[in-house]
Amino acid sequence: MTAHTPKGLDDLPVEEPRWVGRRVRRREDAALLTGRTEFIDDLVLPGMLHCAILRSPFPHARITSVDTTAAAALPGVTAVVTGVDAQAWCNPTRTAPDGWGTFCLATDKVHYVGEPVAAVAATSRYLAEDAIELIEVDYEPLDAVADPFAAMQPGSDLVHEDKGTNVMLQRVFNWGDVDAAIGDALHVFTESFRWNRVGANPTETFGCVCEWDPMSLDLTVHGSIQSPSSFALGRASELGIASNKVNVKSHPHGGSFGGKGGARGATITCLLSRKAGGRPVKWTEDRTEYLTGGGSQAWDRHYEATLAVDADGRATALAVTLVDDLGATGEGFGAISAAKPLAAFTGPYTIPVARYDLTLVATNKLPASPFRGMGPPPHFFVLEQMMDIAARGLGIDPAEFRRRNFIQPEQFPYTIPSGNEYDSGSYEEVLDTALDLAGYEDLRKRQAEARADGRLVGVGVASAVEPGVFDWSAYAIVGMPQTGVPEGATVNIDIMGNVTVRVGFSMEGQGQYTLVSQLVADWFAVEMDAVRVVALDTQSAPPSFGPGGSRLGVAITGAVLGACERLTARMAAVAAGLLRADAGDVELHDGRFRVRGKPGAEMTVAQIAGTMLARSDLLPPDIDPRPEATYVWTAPDRTAADEEGRAKSYLTAAQAVHVVMVEIDAETGFVEILEYALADDCGTRLNPVVVEGQTEGSVAQGIGVALYEEYVYDSDAQPLTTTFMDYLLPTVNEVPPLQKGAVVTPSPFTPLGAKGCGEGAIHTTPAAVMCAVNDALAPLGVLAREVPAAPNRVWNLLRESKERS
Amino acid sequence: MKPAPLDYAAPTSLAEAVTLLADPDRDVMVIAGGQSLMPMLNMRLARPELLVDLGRVPGLDYIREDGDWLAIGAMTTKRAVEESAVVRDRQPLLHAATCHVGHPQIRNRGTVGGSLAQADPAAEYPAVAVATGAEVRVAGPDGERTIPAAEFFVTYLTTALAPGEVVVELRIPALGSDTGWAFVELARRHGDFAIVGAAVTVDLDAGGAYGDVRIVLFGVGPTPLWAEAAESALRGRPPGADLHAEAAETVRAAIEDPLGDVHATAEYRRHLAGVLVGRALTEAVTRARAARGE
Amino acid sequence: MSDSLHVQLTVNGTAREAHVEARTTLADLLREHLGLTGTHIGCEHGVCGVCTVLVDGRATRSCLMLAVQADGAEITTVEGLAEPGGLHPIQEAFAEEHGLQCGFCTPGFLLAIHELLEADPDPAEDTIRDVLGGQICRCTGYQSILRSVHAAAAKMRATRAADAHA
Repeated sequence: MTAHTPKGLDDLPVEEPRWVGRRVRRREDAALLTGRTEFIDDLVLPGMLHCAILRSPFPHARITSVDTTAAAALPGVTAVVTGVDAQAWCNPTRTAPDGWGTFCLATDKVHYVGEPVAAVAATSRYLAEDAIELIEVDYEPLDAVADPFAAMQPGSDLVHEDKGTNVMLQRVFNWGDVDAAIGDALHVFTESFRWNRVGANPTETFGCVCEWDPMSLDLTVHGSIQSPSSFALGRASELGIASNKVNVKSHPHGGSFGGKGGARGATITCLLSRKAGGRPVKWTEDRTEYLTGGGSQAWDRHYEATLAVDADGRATALAVTLVDDLGATGEGFGAISAAKPLAAFTGPYTIPVARYDLTLVATNKLPASPFRGMGPPPHFFVLEQMMDIAARGLGIDPAEFRRRNFIQPEQFPYTIPSGNEYDSGSYEEVLDTALDLAGYEDLRKRQAEARADGRLVGVGVASAVEPGVFDWSAYAIVGMPQTGVPEGATVNIDIMGNVTVRVGFSMEGQGQYTLVSQLVADWFAVEMDAVRVVALDTQSAPPSFGPGGSRLGVAITGAVLGACERLTARMAAVAAGLLRADAGDVELHDGRFRVRGKPGAEMTVAQIAGTMLARSDLLPPDIDPRPEATYVWTAPDRTAADEEGRAKSYLTAAQAVHVVMVEIDAETGFVEILEYALADDCGTRLNPVVVEGQTEGSVAQGIGVALYEEYVYDSDAQPLTTTFMDYLLPTVNEVPPLQKGAVVTPSPFTPLGAKGCGEGAIHTTPAAVMCAVNDALAPLGVLAREVPAAPNRVWNLLRESKERS
Repeated sequence: MKPAPLDYAAPTSLAEAVTLLADPDRDVMVIAGGQSLMPMLNMRLARPELLVDLGRVPGLDYIREDGDWLAIGAMTTKRAVEESAVVRDRQPLLHAATCHVGHPQIRNRGTVGGSLAQADPAAEYPAVAVATGAEVRVAGPDGERTIPAAEFFVTYLTTALAPGEVVVELRIPALGSDTGWAFVELARRHGDFAIVGAAVTVDLDAGGAYGDVRIVLFGVGPTPLWAEAAESALRGRPPGADLHAEAAETVRAAIEDPLGDVHATAEYRRHLAGVLVGRALTEAVTRARAARGE
Repeated sequence: MSDSLHVQLTVNGTAREAHVEARTTLADLLREHLGLTGTHIGCEHGVCGVCTVLVDGRATRSCLMLAVQADGAEITTVEGLAEPGGLHPIQEAFAEEHGLQCGFCTPGFLLAIHELLEADPDPAEDTIRDVLGGQICRCTGYQSILRSVHAAAAKMRATRAADAHA
């Protein structure tokens, strides 16, 4: 039996799949709904201590002394660590770009408000917080670097004096002759935009329990960790120990969206454990710590964009200049977010040439982190505003303008100017589905009537591509040149025919354990309840990256099916011996191994597994007797980046069109969403319930960043949004009902044809909402250039328009 | 994010509570529902030596009709106010304002006395108390006294309560059956503290012109802003868009030093205050006319 | 200062007691002292609603209440919604309607909705939104939670009707 990963649902070894592709209830839910799932803050280990971290109140200051005497003397305090301990036991953290890291605890100076300065391990969190209040730190405040443009000027104060500059990276990428294309174009549109800091804010903050043995230097980290294997390597590097001394056990966690962060706090907690003689130390990041010092902030961006359009209304060149304020260090890997747009630079359009003028700047703000979508959402906000500006300039309906520029189905696989290859799509079909759902013509009629009444109503139509199944090569330009991201699974069948799948990641919310169960249940034709999914620690698990970059659904499908195939081949060989047939004639079908052309010659999966486990004497020689197989899947055919950053990086390209109608209160500037419809194509939908859930959640986050969420710093780099009273997450009252449609164009490159879809709608929602806002404002001759379109900002535009007329 | 060490007392009589509060040697704070205080304690922005919990003091949880007045005990929860048929019938402005306070989960614990004593400039209750001409009954070492709401709120988070005094009752006049009212606010999200809000009552005279009008804004300064100049300019004149625009401008001019924060600049707040006054007057007039069968 | 105080209360129908510092929040009493870790902590300043439990039948932020204030109270946490091994109709509805993803905020939602549906078997959309507006979910975008509430209400009405008939 030759292994071949199924391309479609029809290729599964069952007459009719019962689980994959169907609306399946999640296996994770019963424990979550009854409060029985063990999140990291629920973990209690014998002798466990609690960490609290003292953080800098200054954005930029020299530390002249740190006195921990009183804290150390407080009864109940077991260990205190400062920058001195970090220098003794740590390395500065790895960063992107390289060389912009610091020690986990400040040494000579602090670089942002919230930077850890010292930490305490005590018998309770209450006591630990009492103790850090007793630590005396003398600061000599320095002028803060708050504005990235000022920071780029020669003579600016420096975040890191030894670097000699605040510019972390400056490069211009030209993909084709952009100057010529702009020079030749009939229409050229240029505009500037501002995307303010936003971020993930999962309802659970980061948490960990660390045990670092001071003699053996063996380290165990339990935590709410999105990518356990990467996290383990990071700790080994930072703590200067061999990678095989680190074991990371990820707990189920309360969301991540890329912004779980926690690496610095975990390293500090490790130091405390070592100082406390290896006792387990728990650190549960509190919300203020998360908002001011955690993985909370992303995408602080200043854009200028130029779009060239020919006489036929076809976009011929795109040039984007980005100044990205990454904050004080490169530790959060926020720079990746500036690189990822290369995976979909020109969106769903056939724009033949493009330029990216990229500058990453250090300031005295919290280091930027990843966040769902990892950079393209702001890029698409800019691209889609430019598409609308061009459509308006040419007098073409925005939906029609997009239709004219879409990549056509027969053009796939399609290579975009920035080097990535899109797998498949049917963009016009998606557009038409969305327009039909929205009742586009009717919306335009309603808009015309409202405008006649003096109301500010706008309709936005926006489209974006969601790069799926990430590869590091997309991030080569910020210093991550490698390729290959593994995901492994081990499938094991016991003597009763029950199946256990061992994986290297924990639950995060996307229903991956349910997906694993669907796949295995359909492969071996068992009930989903017969499948158990177990998460292993990094020292036991097959190679794994975990969720991230809209990859895990596709990757774990490849891993599980690959393991099932290999196990099936082995079991077929056993069956062939027992049934006296050629292995090539044995096939698995509906849970039975049968011999082609010999009716009745068949054995169940359980019979074969039982034979393998109990009767090795009956097995063919040289066969591994374990009814178990492991497979590690990586995206095929990924390429390293060339000198211009071009690579085949993300494997899939999902696409969506969103149609939004908004009304702006002309007196107050408040924006209300009146209608919301969308259609998307993420290939085969392995569990449509989960796909829809990802979409709905991602729309809500997109609305949040378009209208509500924003991290504000004052001109001295002091954070002003330090609680949920100020950083406004959308509630049920801010999210409108959604009409959702789907088009399915299976990916030719993935098992079962699924495309990455986890990050999803946030690629399109902010763009679509802002297109609608700008459509509403168009009659007034003003443009909303800044996200979020908060009421005060919109009112400023209304006033600007009034003053002009 | 855990409270600093503190002592806790749960007196079972008002007298005992007042004695505890009047201790000059200790930093004492009162906790009622705790919905404003607990975040401050958790963030260690408030760190009293002694916390006096009024939750065990009997007789502070009631809503009574007292002639043309309603008397509401200080420990009455906002949820009880919201659910009270008496309040809904006789003081609908208070009912409407209550529904804007946080969410049901907050209103289940937050108390009437707590909101008054907290004196948050963006909160609903202080504005309603001033707009309705309510009184705050307080108890202290020297016995009880009653303070008109307009004198109770001194500045940001500061009231006329003397050391050792606690709020025991809100006395609020029932609205006249012909009185129109409106409670409007603009918040970034439903349930958030308002950027700006307005509480308005309107009585129309026989000819349909403005008679008694009361306009109080909140979120625009250190205490609820009683817009008396705008009120007097309205009296005797028939409601209408132009007049309301004039009132809006008068209100804007009366705002001395509006707050500016991450959600709204001072200038924007001033603008919104005018918008809300116009909207509130229109809504209140509509109700007043409806009450007269118009 | 901070002497240990004795708190007695009923949690999920069972009498419980603990010795706590006065400053201990109800959330920490439940999680750290009584081992009921189904109540989660999200912001500790009363905004996110993750820690919501029922105190004497009323949905309450357990981070905004001291443990000592709950002395004598009846508390219901997510662990007490259904018999062990079973699901409450609200929990059932959430499972059916994909009303949860990571599940961290879910216990708070369940209890807030429990209070709502006990008081009002057929709540208006505005009433539902008023209650849910006090609970933050970062995963679902709320649409599936709204569907869950409607489904739960229907289940509970059907149960009541059956009980009344029996």
